[in-house]
Amino acid sequence: MLLFNVFCGNQAASFSAVFPVASHLAMHIPDGFLSLPVSLATWLIAIALIAICLNKVQGDYQERAVPLMGVCAAFIFAAQMINFPIPGGTSGHLLGGTLAGVLLGPWAGSLVMTVVFIVQAVLFQDGGITVLGANIFNMGLVGTFGGYFVYETIRKALGWNSWRGIGTGTAIASWVSVFVASLLCAVQLALSGTIALPIALSAMASWHVMIGIGEAVITTIAIGYVYRTRPDLLYKPPRSTTVAKTPVPR
Amino acid sequence: MLLHIGGFRLDTESDRNTPWHQLIPRTRVLCAFLLVFAIALTPNGQWLTWAVYGLAVAAIAVISQVRLLDLIKRVAVEFLFVGLVLLGTLFRSGGEVVWQWGILRITTEGLTVLGSVSLKMLLCLTMLNILVLTTSISNLLHALKELRVPKLLVAILFSMHRYIQVLVDEINCMKKAAQSRNLFAQARGKRLVIGNIMGSLFIRTLERGEQIHQAMLARGYTGLPPVLDPPLSQARDRRALAIVLILVLSGQIFHWQLRSTFN
Repeated sequence: MLLFNVFCGNQAASFSAVFPVASHLAMHIPDGFLSLPVSLATWLIAIALIAICLNKVQGDYQERAVPLMGVCAAFIFAAQMINFPIPGGTSGHLLGGTLAGVLLGPWAGSLVMTVVFIVQAVLFQDGGITVLGANIFNMGLVGTFGGYFVYETIRKALGWNSWRGIGTGTAIASWVSVFVASLLCAVQLALSGTIALPIALSAMASWHVMIGIGEAVITTIAIGYVYRTRPDLLYKPPRSTTVAKTPVPR
Repeated sequence: MLLHIGGFRLDTESDRNTPWHQLIPRTRVLCAFLLVFAIALTPNGQWLTWAVYGLAVAAIAVISQVRLLDLIKRVAVEFLFVGLVLLGTLFRSGGEVVWQWGILRITTEGLTVLGSVSLKMLLCLTMLNILVLTTSISNLLHALKELRVPKLLVAILFSMHRYIQVLVDEINCMKKAAQSRNLFAQARGKRLVIGNIMGSLFIRTLERGEQIHQAMLARGYTGLPPVLDPPLSQARDRRALAIVLILVLSGQIFHWQLRSTFN
């Protein structure tokens, strides 16, 4: 599961490290890795995000919010447990930010991801409590919210109702969101003085290029499955399918 | 991840009767979070501060009578999982060079950061594990609600907690079905099957969500599951909070006093 990446960076101070990185770290920073200012700033942003998401979701789903968001969070949680082979020889697991965004929309998607992080941090000590704000910022705001808007832009450009638009958007958005989230994580670690910036950046970037490809492949296949079988369940479903096909009876 | 999920019962030590267990859940959560925040946000290199906090955590471990072996096992698994990443903190510039081999060099500052970060992580993990081992999940979530976490968020957390095991079972079941049909033979096919499993799991999830909603309405659901006689804060809760606060402050004061006497 852990992969040893070797980097021989020739930076100003001539760093070099045999730097073992788990796919885990980028997405779940543990307690003690971030300094007070970084924690505080990311917490403030995260709290604002949660407040807006809660309001939006309450408005959109009304009383269905609780059961629906609950099972969807459990769905992401379960989906993160499956390991799959990543092109390049190792295996990784889904992070699910863009998947949640494309299926549920930016607000509900971010809320679901936030709930998953809270449960992982509080109940399973998977990611710290003091750095929960940073984890929500990286993967909830940037990974899900940002990922959704990348997807929406590409979908608009390539064809709103076609698989070409949806599929390409999903693939690119999931790779970009994972990659950018990992870079942000590296910057936060460096700002806190925990890991030097060149080491953190190079380690995170090189490892998450591959993780991102795995994420993109799996997310696109999953969205493709939903597109083929129940396109009406996608957030902002393609028009042709919602009118032409009747939903599968329950 | 989830190496210790087991039957999804985390509070294996919640049925004791110790001074720690007599505190209401809200106080326990507050004490634990106060300590964790104080430990994790103390700047690198304040060893004396962590000595005080370490004693506090050890005291809570002793008072709460958690089985030490269980505690150590859980902390060890979680620590090893991220522990390897810590090595990255070692190689950095600044301070004196202690050891050099080719372009690999270890400096005093690198050692300070490595020591500080691993100590902080270890103490935080121990404290949080004691909390989770001694407090049931529903008590934890109710405590969060009393600490002004939005009601809707706590309600969603509750409903997620109920369905984690259901969905984990379902996804394992689908995986087994795929395996028994030999669909995982090649890496490429495996990715395709897993992607499809996730897609179909999402559709089932939404349908299940609708069913749950109907069932909840039929049973008169109003928001949060009810708590039987909510525990009230007592004198001992206030005492415990005061002690933790004093410890948190004294840890910082010790550090600054020692520093001023040496300078």
